[in-house]
Amino acid sequence: MIAGAWLCLLAPLAGALLITLAGTHISRSTAAWVSTGSVFVGFAGALVAFIQIAGENPDDRSHLSTAYTWLGIGQFEVPMQILVDPVSLVMMMIITGVGGLIVWYSVGYMKGEDEERRYFAYMAFFVFSMLMLVMGGNLLLLLVGWGLVGLASYLLIGFYHDRPEATAAAKKAFIMNAIGDAAMALAFFLLISQTGTLSYSENFEFASTGALPTSTMNLVALGLLGGAIAKSAQLPLHTWLPDAMEGPTPVSALIHAATMVTAGVYLIVRTHDIFEAAPNVQHLAAIIGGLTIIVAGVIALVQWDIKRVIAYSTMSQIGYMFLAAGIGSYGYAMFHLFTHAFFKALLFLAAGVIIHHLAGEQDVRRMGGLKSVMPYTHAVFLIGALALAGIPPLSGFWSKDGIISAALADGGALGYTLVALGLVGALLTGAYTFRLYYLVFHGEPSELVLEHAGGHGSDHAHGAESAVGHDEHAHSEGPLSMLIPVGILAVLSTIAGFLAIPGVWEPFLHWIDGVAEPLVVATVSQDYATSAIAVVLAGTGIWLAQSAYRASEDLVAEGRIRTILEHKLYFDELYDALFSRPSELVANLLREKVEEPVIQGSLGEIGAGVREAGGGTARLQTGLLRSYALVIAVSVVILVVVFVAVR
Amino acid sequence: MGPGTTWYIAVAAVLFGIGTTGVILRRSPLIVLLSLEIMLNASNLALVGFSRHFGSVDGQIFAICVMAVAAAEVVVGLGLIVAFTRRGMSLDVDTVTELRG
Repeated sequence: MIAGAWLCLLAPLAGALLITLAGTHISRSTAAWVSTGSVFVGFAGALVAFIQIAGENPDDRSHLSTAYTWLGIGQFEVPMQILVDPVSLVMMMIITGVGGLIVWYSVGYMKGEDEERRYFAYMAFFVFSMLMLVMGGNLLLLLVGWGLVGLASYLLIGFYHDRPEATAAAKKAFIMNAIGDAAMALAFFLLISQTGTLSYSENFEFASTGALPTSTMNLVALGLLGGAIAKSAQLPLHTWLPDAMEGPTPVSALIHAATMVTAGVYLIVRTHDIFEAAPNVQHLAAIIGGLTIIVAGVIALVQWDIKRVIAYSTMSQIGYMFLAAGIGSYGYAMFHLFTHAFFKALLFLAAGVIIHHLAGEQDVRRMGGLKSVMPYTHAVFLIGALALAGIPPLSGFWSKDGIISAALADGGALGYTLVALGLVGALLTGAYTFRLYYLVFHGEPSELVLEHAGGHGSDHAHGAESAVGHDEHAHSEGPLSMLIPVGILAVLSTIAGFLAIPGVWEPFLHWIDGVAEPLVVATVSQDYATSAIAVVLAGTGIWLAQSAYRASEDLVAEGRIRTILEHKLYFDELYDALFSRPSELVANLLREKVEEPVIQGSLGEIGAGVREAGGGTARLQTGLLRSYALVIAVSVVILVVVFVAVR
Repeated sequence: MGPGTTWYIAVAAVLFGIGTTGVILRRSPLIVLLSLEIMLNASNLALVGFSRHFGSVDGQIFAICVMAVAAAEVVVGLGLIVAFTRRGMSLDVDTVTELRG
């Protein structure tokens, strides 16, 4: 069991190392398959561990395995250990399962790309880092994984390193995440100084028995929350995620949708004892989540880049998870994470198929009418979109509505506000998702689409027609290595929701409850009430998107509101004015007033001074033998006189 | 008994003075070398005088060492002078100022 878990952790690392060390000795496709294979081996390991743990008594499903002492400073020791329990197992299976599918998909997507090997090494490295994050058996190893996924994300966003936008986006993501990492590190320092340990169980013991003062717990929880919101792109540290779409599309699917950005949710669920000891901070997490749902949702309404719309929807969906974790509905937080991983990866990968087919075009204004050209992609994208909008019986419905009903069960001013935010979010989700869907798939095929359609017919229109009727039409939409993973994800997006049917069959929730007992549980009637409202709202959103599309208008009409939304509520501008410009100003001022006159100037002056002193001294060197002799004689006389006089 | 140690030292001092004056004032390298020899021998005289005064042979041994050094130095000096004349340079130390800074 533990062996399976270790295998799961180490297989992707081995894959990454192998590709790195082998370099050009292996072919590009070998590198791709090594990467894919290593992640799937990891999945097999996780599956073995899952099957064995599932057979155990629900009360002792948590296993801590220590390999050796990694760090020892006096009494303070940090062992290299992994924690295998229901929560980390869910994460392990999502990371390696969805990750494996996405890496497999990359085999087709990245074919012919320069530096393919580097890409696949990074992907395997990312999977390892993410596993380190979720399997790390103590807080320090969690932070190690936390930092490594940030690095992997940086490397992969900046994969097209010859594009200035990509490197800028990579830096932005790294800096934003560094803010969160610093907050987390401070929280850990505080914990070490107060409890002297970074072990999960001991710290949770301290937290739940109330051995530490409330102010300390608040600070620790705030630090953890800071790390979580930076990694999960929640307000106000969210600006990096849309820019991160500069990376290759499978990277967006894996890192910026399915796994890494949900690490914040995992963190809150994992350290729920600490958050429960600081209820105000936990509520803050819920409020941040609720606000992010709305903010990301409205910004998504006006985006034209297919990947950015999906990126904002990711932010919004993670907002739901934060909301759930913040009110203590850990099971549903993890469940939404689980279903979201499937349908969001599906949407990104389907978008990737389109982008791949249209030779890199991402602007939806140049798409349209793809339904007839790419029927397979249309079908899977529609499944993903319906799941995202929360239409039954697809997976998003079960998980999202569970969250809203949990907020209703929480009650009070906070609970009802969160319910309202969640419901408005449902409306927005339906609207922006189907705005995107209609723009991309409906209407007459655009020029660009016609240009890339078929590919085997001489006449473009004919090519498009024949693609529909052809038996092997799916093949013309992209390589099989792309279409098969997308199909698997579409199936998973459809059925994953049945793991938690309120009041009927809730194995997923019971699985998580063993680790994180929920603070609120909705009654079945609350569940069905919110579900009905949410579905009606999502349907309204879809209807709005459809009627706007029919009237060939955009959902948000031109005007001031649209301008504000197009500027993403001016967050970038605000940070620019608050941090970037002042620091630039100070730097420029220092350069003008300090560096150039003082440091550079003094260097020149020191040089000139030395040169002048040298010139003066050189004049003593006359070259005249007799004058030297005289100087020596006089010096000796003076020395003797001084010597005698002093004595 | 002969003259006392003071006399030897006095003679040595006078010789050293004459030698120094020669080195400083004369321009011909030959005479400069000669004056240097006088200075070295003045110091030899002082060494031997002190050696006799203290009844120790150390000074005399040291004087022999100085003679050996003086002989070697004359070889180098005269070699230089020969090289001077071969190149047709004037025998005047003031004209050789190439190491001026």
